[in-house]
Amino acid sequence: MAKYILKRVLRASVTLFIIITILFSLLRLMPIEGYFDNFDKVSSTEIQVKLNSLGLNDPLPKQLGRFYNQLLHGDLGTSNIYRRGVSINTIIAEKIPISVKFGLISFALSLVMGLALGIWMAYSTRTRFKIGDRLGTVLIVVVQAVPAAVYHIVIQFVGSQYAGIPMLFDEARPISYLLPILSLSIGNTAYYAMWLRRYMVDEANKDYVLLARAKGVPSGAISRRHVFRNAMVPLVQYIPGSILSTLMGSLYVESLYSIPGMGGLLVTAIKRQDNTLVQALVLIYAVVSILGLLFGDIMMAIVDPRISLAKKEGSR
Amino acid sequence: MQDNVILSFEDLDIRFTLRGQVLNAIRGISLDVYRGESLAIVGESGSGKSVLTKSAMGLLDANGSIAGGHIWYDDKDLAAFKTEKEWLTIRGREIAMVMQDPMTSLNPLKTVGAQILEAVQLHQGLRGPEAKAAAVQALADVGIPDPQARYKQYPHEFSGGMRQRVVIAIAMACRPKILICDEPTTALDVTIQAQILDLIRTLQKKLDLTTIYITHDLGVVANVADRIAVMYAGDIVEVGSCDEVFYDPRHPYTWALLSSLPQLGVKGEDLYSIQGTPPNLFYEVKGDAFAPRNPKALKIDFVKRPPYFDVSPTHKARTWLLDPRAPKVEPPEHVYKLRERGGVGYV
Repeated sequence: MAKYILKRVLRASVTLFIIITILFSLLRLMPIEGYFDNFDKVSSTEIQVKLNSLGLNDPLPKQLGRFYNQLLHGDLGTSNIYRRGVSINTIIAEKIPISVKFGLISFALSLVMGLALGIWMAYSTRTRFKIGDRLGTVLIVVVQAVPAAVYHIVIQFVGSQYAGIPMLFDEARPISYLLPILSLSIGNTAYYAMWLRRYMVDEANKDYVLLARAKGVPSGAISRRHVFRNAMVPLVQYIPGSILSTLMGSLYVESLYSIPGMGGLLVTAIKRQDNTLVQALVLIYAVVSILGLLFGDIMMAIVDPRISLAKKEGSR
Repeated sequence: MQDNVILSFEDLDIRFTLRGQVLNAIRGISLDVYRGESLAIVGESGSGKSVLTKSAMGLLDANGSIAGGHIWYDDKDLAAFKTEKEWLTIRGREIAMVMQDPMTSLNPLKTVGAQILEAVQLHQGLRGPEAKAAAVQALADVGIPDPQARYKQYPHEFSGGMRQRVVIAIAMACRPKILICDEPTTALDVTIQAQILDLIRTLQKKLDLTTIYITHDLGVVANVADRIAVMYAGDIVEVGSCDEVFYDPRHPYTWALLSSLPQLGVKGEDLYSIQGTPPNLFYEVKGDAFAPRNPKALKIDFVKRPPYFDVSPTHKARTWLLDPRAPKVEPPEHVYKLRERGGVGYV
């Protein structure tokens, strides 16, 4: 297992190297106007001085080398436009905690609600009128079919108009956390419920469940020990990715409730052509995605003994 | 109920509801299972073999129900059981089951040890290290080498035959009185089949079990069974000792079934096969269910359902041919050649 993880990490580093190189080289093609607030009024000497000071006149390989050196020292660079001269590490350190806080709470909430709903729906398929299954299906279809922007606004509107909850986020008032968390968790709740229900119904119809019944195991214990446990296997793969992606925040929800998180940062950086910030953020996103996949695979191997990462690695 | 009868089906009707239609899967079956015997239930797919035995464990699918009759076990009427709690006094503890496909009948994510342990804890009342020792012993009892190490392994680390041994070990760990083997060898290699049947036979002798085999493999039947019940379209058409059913069959369906045996084929000719298809059990069956496929059927076969006629104290068949008023209809000549062709078994 350790060998496998090491291999995957090495391969991930190669992937990251390629991503960074391409990204960095492409960003150097951006027009130099972006580095100045008032390009038209600046003399060409001043322009050259500034470009020199930013190191942008050096040959590309040299710039790349410098960037890698910076990264190895844990330095993501300095913002050019967004907050001129401020270290990107500082900017992100200010913004990440709030996104992670919202992300983790809503992740936990959606896991609890999604699994509960999924279990209830799966159980209800064995009852006469399948009421739980029907209600749950309605909820899932609505959440999946209606664009997220619409139900976010509905939640904000209903919550603030009828429940008297503040419309915008206010760090000092815990009640104002409620609506954004609800908005953030509802999509994943539907997702977990839908797949858990489906996998549990699949598992419950398998022969080994019949054998467990035949040997006299009570149905409650069968659901817990056999059906639920086995149905969770395919879902477990997505959990590390979901947790890690909270680092990136949610663009829409954070701007809707004016939460000062990571969500809008990349869009702002691109719009304002803050190239160093763009490359730092894309780097973080890439690391998060790659680690999410890796941890997902490791989780699968832990919960499913049939998956042996060490031996069959070549066939992947 | 006589003393030597351990399980008795009496006028049993089982119905399934499918898309608002009612299917009569079991139509008035009466059958006694004797203590310590091996009974084989044979019949083609869909004849109701599995449904009949599942009904004795309360394992019918949710849309199936017992519509009439009784299932007697220990003076209790299992047909009247409603709650899971009642069934838990029977499942495993009194009646255990070995299923057809060992590849799918074990939980792939639990060690075989844990799966045997479940049965040990439920039915032998053991806990902790004692329970584990009993589970390891159960593996040893079914002839699995190195049971200590195998205990910790997962089903995918076992071959098909070994998995079937594990399934048998689970059933045995319940300490049942009756073992139902639902096509226990169908999914296995021929060489492994004989080993598994041997194992079940050995355990039966050692533990004084009653076994019920469900199969459509007459070779298996000849090897293991004391008695045979032939099922057709949700009914038992003939029941008797192994010798009686194989060498003195009386029901036209049994004749047809035996005629399909390759041993009775003539070199160079096609093997015999029964014409037509079984009746649609969504409709009420009139008369003898096999009549439409029986070229020698009598007129009354299409009108009135035959009762059982006794051929001997142990042999009875549900056919009008046994009525004293019936014309003499001879079975196909070759059916009687079975004995000289070396019988049915392959051993």
